[in-house]
Amino acid sequence: MNLINSIFKICGTTGQKFFKFLSNIGHFFIFFITAIFWIFRPPWYFKKIFYQIIDIGYFSLPVVGLTTFFSGMVLALQTYNGFSELNNETTVARVVLTSITRELGPVLTGLMVAGRIGAKMAAEIATMRVTEQIDALGTLGTRPMQYLIAPKIIASLICIPVLVLLGNTIGILGGYIIAIFKLEFNPSIYLYATVEYLQWIDIIQGTVKAAIFGLIISMVSCYFGFNATKGAEGVGYATTASVVISSVMILTSTYIITALFFG
Amino acid sequence: MKKKLNNKIIIEVKNLTKTFNETMVLNDINFKLFEGESLAIIGASGSGKSVLLKNIIGLLSPDKGSIKINNVEMVDLKRSIKEKILLDLGITFQHGALFDSLQNWENIVFKVKNKEKLTDKDAKELALSIIKRLGLNSEILDLYPSEISGGMQKRVAIARAICGNPKVLLFDEPTSGLDPVTGSLIDKLIKSAVKTVGGSAITITHDMASVCNIADKVILIDKQTISWSGTPKEMLKSDNAQIKDFIKSTNPKLFI
Repeated sequence: MNLINSIFKICGTTGQKFFKFLSNIGHFFIFFITAIFWIFRPPWYFKKIFYQIIDIGYFSLPVVGLTTFFSGMVLALQTYNGFSELNNETTVARVVLTSITRELGPVLTGLMVAGRIGAKMAAEIATMRVTEQIDALGTLGTRPMQYLIAPKIIASLICIPVLVLLGNTIGILGGYIIAIFKLEFNPSIYLYATVEYLQWIDIIQGTVKAAIFGLIISMVSCYFGFNATKGAEGVGYATTASVVISSVMILTSTYIITALFFG
Repeated sequence: MKKKLNNKIIIEVKNLTKTFNETMVLNDINFKLFEGESLAIIGASGSGKSVLLKNIIGLLSPDKGSIKINNVEMVDLKRSIKEKILLDLGITFQHGALFDSLQNWENIVFKVKNKEKLTDKDAKELALSIIKRLGLNSEILDLYPSEISGGMQKRVAIARAICGNPKVLLFDEPTSGLDPVTGSLIDKLIKSAVKTVGGSAITITHDMASVCNIADKVILIDKQTISWSGTPKEMLKSDNAQIKDFIKSTNPKLFI
């Protein structure tokens, strides 16, 4: 009897958690649709969008640049070591170029921005929620979704693709520096190989990924911030959850997008 | 002398009931706020006063009952219409709820600047004229809320509520955390704001001296419902045990 009771209890708890999970997905979907609606509806707060662009784009550039630069360098070295029997300029250039533009550039940029900006967005909005600032906004004739959320999403959609393009360039430069100064490759042949293997589809795919990552980071962070409860603890939870879930969604979606492009 | 009130009802709350996770917070609340009237709501901490205010301004939805502002039913009203009605209300929250990322002057004129498309210069002048009435100096205008004291933040929040001369003012503990002199200044300001624009006010407070200064009518919320209502004079003479306790503990001088 006890065993049956325990089984029922476990099934009940699991079912409850499953339905809560489904309910959260439903809430997120409604939030997503509402946020998209407000992106296209005037008035647009251009000053706020501009500040967000500076914050997300300009101030993320050093961390994105450093990450992709060293990734490009590591990639050139590892490729050289791993393909020692084929250690020529074209192999290293091609591996660095393809890896950076297709995968490492967008994913590393996405993860870095999720850590830096996603956490900031979630903490800022969550603090505003628990200190009644969002409630106050609503009573002052301003819609929180339009004033707080929409500028962050618009800025993310603009900045992250640009950051990825810059990150890709810096990453390839990192690979070039190692190839030329450490591996003593011929600069002209290396550059020629890089340009020759550069394909539009890689750039387009990287940019599409970046835009989707921008949407994921801003939506997830704003969602957790906007629905924060329980004071300081709630702010902490919103911040952590936004970074973890954004990162997992970035890694999941990068596979799906790659499969769709190159399946 | 008793103030003559109009018969026009500004806010009418009927049979309002609100529960949170099966815990009843408000049960069958009924009252009316008339034009030109100042109503004070008193009650112990956690009695549901702020929940009542949040129901009135639409931040919470009642489980049952009706809330009318200027004869418009607010419960289940279309959001865009509700927002227009709320624009005519001046509201202060219990903890100020000032926007951290904006300077104090931007906080004060937030609603009016958007509504009337004021330039920064005009908006700042407007903010200055309001904070002078609240005993604040111009230096705080360019500071952020985190750079001024709690009492000052409270006054900036009140300045934001009265900016644009709204006809209905809703204050959630406007004098808590303020020194007696500033508290009395705020009382005078609430009184004059109601008088000059012919407006009406609901003030949630624990300060009995403040109730006597500003209110035409007082209601006490106890055990989820309105357990007593009357004028401040009636309140001072009331035999209600909780009213007596309230007065004794917050301002014994009122008994002398």
